[in-house]
Amino acid sequence: MNAQHVAAVTLFGLGVAVVVLTALGSLRVHRPEDRLHFLTPATALGTPLIGLGLAIVNGWSLTTAQIVIVCLLIMITGPVLSSAAVRVAGMREGSVSRESPE
Amino acid sequence: MNAWLIGDLALVGIGLPVAIWIAARGNAVDRLVGLELTGVIGTLALLAFSQAVKQPSYLIVPTVAVVLAFAGTLVYTRLLAPRS
Repeated sequence: MNAQHVAAVTLFGLGVAVVVLTALGSLRVHRPEDRLHFLTPATALGTPLIGLGLAIVNGWSLTTAQIVIVCLLIMITGPVLSSAAVRVAGMREGSVSRESPE
Repeated sequence: MNAWLIGDLALVGIGLPVAIWIAARGNAVDRLVGLELTGVIGTLALLAFSQAVKQPSYLIVPTVAVVLAFAGTLVYTRLLAPRS
């Protein structure tokens, strides 16, 4: 087990810990908006850490390219879905009009 | 059992049940957030599983899953919006 493997496993473990902790943290709050706050670290921090760990252990290869693509897609689509969910929550509460943003 | 499999088990054994629990309870928006969390954790678990079993060809599954999770959740946001 060399230093590269240790670094990869450490980054991967940190990423898994972030994702699991955000899932457990979202159980402690009840409003959808608060739960979405807990989802952000999973997509913005946990996902790149896991992807970085997997990329380091695989080196420069097509496998790494596919891992990076998947992680980038999660990181790009996560905020889009969060904002869409918050918008739906606002529309159902009546604080956001159906026409917004105009 | 390697480190990748242990991480995968943590995601599947702790993170995914919590996300499914959130997706199965509360009002529609609560469940939508749970669905979003399920998609993220499920995709990451599939990534880790591919590494754990040393099968790079399995990576096509999370690649498709992340796209389908995005499209599926967006469809739900459209359906859950009030009509008037």
